[in-house]
Amino acid sequence: MTILYDEGQQAIATESRRVLEARISKDALLPLLETVGDYHRPFWNIAKEQGWTALALPEPHGGLGLGLIELGLIAHQAGRSISGAPFLTSSFGAAKAIELFGSEAQKARWLPGLSSGEAIGAVAFAAGADPLPVRPDMTITGDRLDGTVRGVAAGIAADVAVVFANGPGMPVLALVDLQGAERIAVPSFDNSRLIADLRFSGVAADTLAVGSTARDAALRILALQSVVTAHEQTGGAEVLMEIARDYALTRKAFGQPIGAFQSVKHRIAELYGLVELARANCIHAAAREDAADFITAAAAARLSATEAYDTAARDCIQIHGGIGVTWEIGLHLHMRRARSLAIEQGSSLFWEDVLVDQLAGEAA
Amino acid sequence: MSDIDTYRATAAAWLRSVAPTFGRDARKGLSEAEDLALGRRYQRAKFDAGYAGINWPTEYGGQGLGHLEKVTFDAEEMKHGFPNFYFGISLGMPVPVLMQFGSDKEFVKERVLKALRGEEIWCQLFSEPSGGSDLAGLRTKAEPDGNGWKINGQKVWTSWAHYSDYGVIIVRTDPTVPKHKGLTYFWVDMKAPGVTVRPIRLAGGDSHVNEVFFDDVKIGDDHRMSPVGGGFAVAIATLMIERYVATDSAGFGPHLDLFVELAKNVRLNSRPAIEDGRIRQQIARNHAMRAGLDSINVRARLMMQAGMMPGPEGSLNKLVAVRSRQKLSELALDLQGSDAFPFDQHASPKEDWASSWINAPTGRIAGGSDETLLNTIAEKVLGLPQDHRPDKGIAFNQIPA
Repeated sequence: MTILYDEGQQAIATESRRVLEARISKDALLPLLETVGDYHRPFWNIAKEQGWTALALPEPHGGLGLGLIELGLIAHQAGRSISGAPFLTSSFGAAKAIELFGSEAQKARWLPGLSSGEAIGAVAFAAGADPLPVRPDMTITGDRLDGTVRGVAAGIAADVAVVFANGPGMPVLALVDLQGAERIAVPSFDNSRLIADLRFSGVAADTLAVGSTARDAALRILALQSVVTAHEQTGGAEVLMEIARDYALTRKAFGQPIGAFQSVKHRIAELYGLVELARANCIHAAAREDAADFITAAAAARLSATEAYDTAARDCIQIHGGIGVTWEIGLHLHMRRARSLAIEQGSSLFWEDVLVDQLAGEAA
Repeated sequence: MSDIDTYRATAAAWLRSVAPTFGRDARKGLSEAEDLALGRRYQRAKFDAGYAGINWPTEYGGQGLGHLEKVTFDAEEMKHGFPNFYFGISLGMPVPVLMQFGSDKEFVKERVLKALRGEEIWCQLFSEPSGGSDLAGLRTKAEPDGNGWKINGQKVWTSWAHYSDYGVIIVRTDPTVPKHKGLTYFWVDMKAPGVTVRPIRLAGGDSHVNEVFFDDVKIGDDHRMSPVGGGFAVAIATLMIERYVATDSAGFGPHLDLFVELAKNVRLNSRPAIEDGRIRQQIARNHAMRAGLDSINVRARLMMQAGMMPGPEGSLNKLVAVRSRQKLSELALDLQGSDAFPFDQHASPKEDWASSWINAPTGRIAGGSDETLLNTIAEKVLGLPQDHRPDKGIAFNQIPA
């Protein structure tokens, strides 16, 4: 069952939009594309000030005890403004892993910092096209972690990471303090995602879960993060649809606004459809956080949001014609972000398989 | 349980109780005449049980409840395959318009009651050979004739006209003014002299739509339901009446579960097709799309329940659902390969892939084509400009043919 937002939730949406629109501009984001290792600090300061970092974390450890619905609303607005750092999602993923599978000591050590935003978390599972590898590249022996995980969002800045490693004959979900890790910054097409390869040589790691439980736990973390990302993607798609609409109303060709041509207006109407389907799936998935069908709902949200943002990025630029491909107009910020968000936590190829396994009753 | 949950449970129980008599299985092997007769009995049973005219005023024999109860009942009703489609147009548009705009209240009351009991059927005579999407371009005319009017012309795509007792019709009464301004709305007796109904067979083989010819059909001025020249506004009101109807994210085709079952049972490259990436992708994409529509529809119901107006996203349903049903049905036939050829033209499009496939183009055109729906979203929801309309502001009889 889906939900209608209550007054408090609507206030979160309105207030976060107001703050972000007042304080974030593309002029601050464009230079970040050409710097490796930096992010938009004002964005993260806003997130800390506003309590967004604490929103969905548990109250005993400095959180506000709200959930995916509220964090999703923030992520939607962050997507509209192009989030200046990946931490809302990355820290949330790490914090949920600690909250759901960690010991009291681990919670006490990490959750207050993740709640305040002073500590940064990352989720580091992927091996290339497989966001949740059957045979992870990393190995864990006793409490020591070895190996490399590539392309970790927030990897340059994170203090703590959740990893998925090969244990003795079975996979292990583990928590690792990144002080002992080597970070290799990865110059990317979307540098404020702070992508890094993380290399571990006998670094101390705490086991969170083992065996099939570890895989289920890891999938749950990815699904939780994916619902946040899906909101962010939907926000990005929504704002691109609005930008395309506004441009089609003002730009004239052949004596009329280009929005009067069906090839243009239908394209924008199709974007409206994709945005609304994605939004509906996001709201539903956020409301199903504790339900048995959460993975199915998360996968549907993720697939429709990726499609909406990708299509909106392509079509919004196309509708702008020549001006759309200039550096200065910044539509490529969305195009780049659409791609990085499509890949983080697993691309559509991964989520399609997850979803069909659920629907066909083949889920592990 | 909330009131609406109680209502749903009661309605569902009643529907289950009558399903053996009127449902899918009871209809197997019936001729169309027998099926219609069963449909009339089912409609009467609904009336007697208090499920006809759910959101209509009690003074007309309705139940005086809200849209929410209506949509809730319809969603439950849809599960059983009842023979209710003969009355869908009748009770969906013409009869509500008659209640709203009919002038002779006693006559209206009698008609509404008979329609609710399934004794009389109404049709809606809008589209013409010269225009469907461009409704205001219609050419059928009514000229003053004594104290009344005389109708000449042709309508087309009129659903169930061959079973209809009455119809509502929009005609041109003044060709010397711009096209929207010269139209007037009437009701007609479909059995009157000069009315000829000819069924049109559609691609799938059935014929529920018709051509309707009017040759000097005489009606009194008491048949008029709009001011002279004010018919277009009533036509638009007609189209607005059922904005929140029960919808089907399967596009009135088979449920996705049936596709998943098929993919599990069929082999492709010596493996179950459910293991093939191309098939998996389509299942996943279709599920995500349908889940989005379902969620939109549930949210619309929640809004109605909270006394709010549902958002415009409800308008996506038909556009998105029917067109994807068409492609999925093609793929389902591809999956069956040479086993796909056996064809039963009377099979239900909700259960049979070939029937769903061959009837899908009708769904993408009837009740607003995909292109018209996209225009509506672009113009009404997003505020984009209207298309270039060379006939705008020009007297109808000056528009180049």
